[in-house]
Amino acid sequence: MSEPLALPVAIATVGVALVSGGYVIAVGDRWLAAAVAGRPSSLRRVLAAPIAGGALAMVTSRTTTERPDGPGWALAPALLAALAALALAMLPLAPGVAPADPDTGFVVFSAAIAFVMIAVFLHGWSSNATLPLHGAYRYGAQALSFQIPFLLAMLATALPAESLSLVRIVEAQASLWNVVRQPLGLPLYLVAGLAVTFWGPLNLPDGHDLAGGTSAEDAGIARLLWSGARTAMLVAVAAMGAAAFLGGYHGPVLPGPIWVIAKTLLLLALIVAAGHLFARIRIERFVLVAWVALIPLALLNVFISGAILL
Amino acid sequence: MIGPLLVDAAFVVFALLAIVTGYRVFRTDSMVRAAFYLLASFAAVGGIMVLLGAEFLGMVLILMMAGEMLVMAIVMVMYMMNPAGLNPMVMVHQNRVAAIAGLVAFLALSAVGLAGEFPDQPVPDPASATEELGRELLGNSMLVFQTAGITLLATMIGAIAIAGSRGRYGSADEGSVEPGLQPDEEVA
Repeated sequence: MSEPLALPVAIATVGVALVSGGYVIAVGDRWLAAAVAGRPSSLRRVLAAPIAGGALAMVTSRTTTERPDGPGWALAPALLAALAALALAMLPLAPGVAPADPDTGFVVFSAAIAFVMIAVFLHGWSSNATLPLHGAYRYGAQALSFQIPFLLAMLATALPAESLSLVRIVEAQASLWNVVRQPLGLPLYLVAGLAVTFWGPLNLPDGHDLAGGTSAEDAGIARLLWSGARTAMLVAVAAMGAAAFLGGYHGPVLPGPIWVIAKTLLLLALIVAAGHLFARIRIERFVLVAWVALIPLALLNVFISGAILL
Repeated sequence: MIGPLLVDAAFVVFALLAIVTGYRVFRTDSMVRAAFYLLASFAAVGGIMVLLGAEFLGMVLILMMAGEMLVMAIVMVMYMMNPAGLNPMVMVHQNRVAAIAGLVAFLALSAVGLAGEFPDQPVPDPASATEELGRELLGNSMLVFQTAGITLLATMIGAIAIAGSRGRYGSADEGSVEPGLQPDEEVA
């Protein structure tokens, strides 16, 4: 039986992981953008840019729209950040150690992912403006399409563990990581994970083609909070992918938590790079691909994983 | 672990949240807000189920409600021609019938609560509750659940076939035409 971390330690761990992960993403995103564009950029400038941007956002005045839903608008970033924290709280850090380890950890993680669509829709809807609402509707279609393949890909990892507990799912990878055992799983998880976190090629609700989409009317601190919550969600999805498919804390020589961080950074690098290497795709095409290709592949993954266990 | 006092406090918070947000569903003036309040109410009920030891069912309730409420909000907005559901509108109608129905339901549930006999065995720990549920779903009740599952799947496929852009009456991109009212009328 695993021992849960003390409550203050657990909260501090999740908080530090989300904030430092967000900073790493902001730095990596800028560095990759400069590298892909062939522009030289000094390390110092790249490291300081997110802090400077955040400071600027804090002193920029906020804007408002005509008859917005004030509470909803304020609540949306907080809800998204809380969901990221909830998802990350299920992450096993070392053998038997996780901030929280309910027996139904997978279901709690799934519920957090399902509520992301509520947070994004609330964010786009509450400002009572055209472009944010377009973004909100887009994410509705996107969410209903990615949710089934994302959760099926993740669910397949519960089969070899014979448990919905994420600590057990990582334990079951001691001899063989799920990325080898279920070769379809990680690619499906990453594609659907891009959609969950609306990042890079699947940043449809907040895309530049909608002038920022659900955050088009955000300025100043509101915009900072929303982008912070977005990166927090990306940290949570990458960390959970590393735990479910790359063996989490399993690894030679180094202690478990170092492996968790290294593997999370690897997946973050893949996701952030995808944002600069692939063009944004249209929502119609994504919905079609999700229902026609991703869901059948995810089901196939579950069937094969189940058949191997039988 | 969590003390019993904290569990009681959590129950009170969830119960109040469920009642207040459930009331707000009918007192708000926008369909999207009503859907969000209903979602909050259901999430609070899910929290109470987790407190009762039905960890899996409670979390699944919360998980399922997120998608359902979003779809409900979007469909209501589509039908009501109320752009974005932010235009104020009255959310109640047939007040007298609704009041009588609500009162009857409240009295009936109160009667069950006061007169009913409730089991007093200790709650099994969540893991075994989840396992028992799984054995029930794939054991004695398998035929019922699989029948319901296949029926729902067939309904979904039918709905997609009707509503899809390549629908019954031709591709939506090229201007699909409904069939005429007479059975033998030529379709343009």
